[in-house]
Amino acid sequence: MIFLSPILGLIFQETGRAANAVESLKHPDLSKFLVIAAILFIIGVAGVLTRRNLLVIFMSIELILNAANLNFIAFSRYLQDTGRGDPLAGQVFTIFVIVVAAAEAAIGLGIVIALYRNRETIWVDEIDLMKW
Amino acid sequence: MVLSGWESVFFWVFGIAALLAGLLTVMARNAVHSALFLISSLVSVAALFILLGAEFIAGVQILVYVGGVMVLFLFVIMLVNVGAEEEGRAAIFNRPAQVATALVFLGLLAGALVVYAIPRGYQAMQKRDESAMQQAGARRAAEQSNMPAGATGVSRLTDDTRRVGKSLYTYASLPFEIASILLLVAIVGSVMLARTLKQEAASDDVDPEDLA
Repeated sequence: MIFLSPILGLIFQETGRAANAVESLKHPDLSKFLVIAAILFIIGVAGVLTRRNLLVIFMSIELILNAANLNFIAFSRYLQDTGRGDPLAGQVFTIFVIVVAAAEAAIGLGIVIALYRNRETIWVDEIDLMKW
Repeated sequence: MVLSGWESVFFWVFGIAALLAGLLTVMARNAVHSALFLISSLVSVAALFILLGAEFIAGVQILVYVGGVMVLFLFVIMLVNVGAEEEGRAAIFNRPAQVATALVFLGLLAGALVVYAIPRGYQAMQKRDESAMQQAGARRAAEQSNMPAGATGVSRLTDDTRRVGKSLYTYASLPFEIASILLLVAIVGSVMLARTLKQEAASDDVDPEDLA
């Protein structure tokens, strides 16, 4: 029976870890918000890298910026709980990110319209004038 | 910060909704569908902001993004991309090899972040901040017990918003002014970019017929 003990130990440890995981899913903390933001960021990067439609690429950039905002707000809440640093700096920074995103969307869509007027397309692989 | 009860239910609902809507934004065939999925993703993220106690930012997110930026997007899609639905067979993604490479490396990045980096970093951070967290919790409990009887959650909300506004006008005042100049440049720039040859000629007092 002695040789079974490491296996049993492993099994019990695993079930303990699984119970811990369920418990942490029931009580999401900062790390869960960070995971959501990371996945959202990756989805946005995947959109930028794989899509051909210029407008959808712009929308993916908005997704990326949103993931960054979610990180800022989550860490701002964490700082409020620890009482360290300036707890509202994250929220103030998020406002600036939203402002820059709005400006970027306005300029980008202006460029899209000018491009469409000249080239009659918004598929990025057909816009290769500066590609050698 | 640990959510519990209904808060954690709402966290999972809105978190998964944000992820699904983001995925559909990237994968939808029609750009209008993409925009609508992006709107629902943004609204879900705004709900997560509310769960994190940033009600003002959630309001700004919905007003600026959903009310402003996404309406702009929809306008441009309508202007530019009307024929997209008819050519539904056209490939919406890049070449398969490029897509596969991008997805493999992004999958590796996601795995490393979600499985390794974030849990480890968070554990270390929690260990470091344990005492500070307890002190802050005790201070907050003392503040709560000293609050007047009429104080509710609403007073905390307005207080947070007031402090955000105050920091925007004090230590963040220089970036605030720079942001206003940035917005002005964006307005002028997008008008400059989007006007036609005719409009340009008209503003220079040249007869458009001479250009043609």
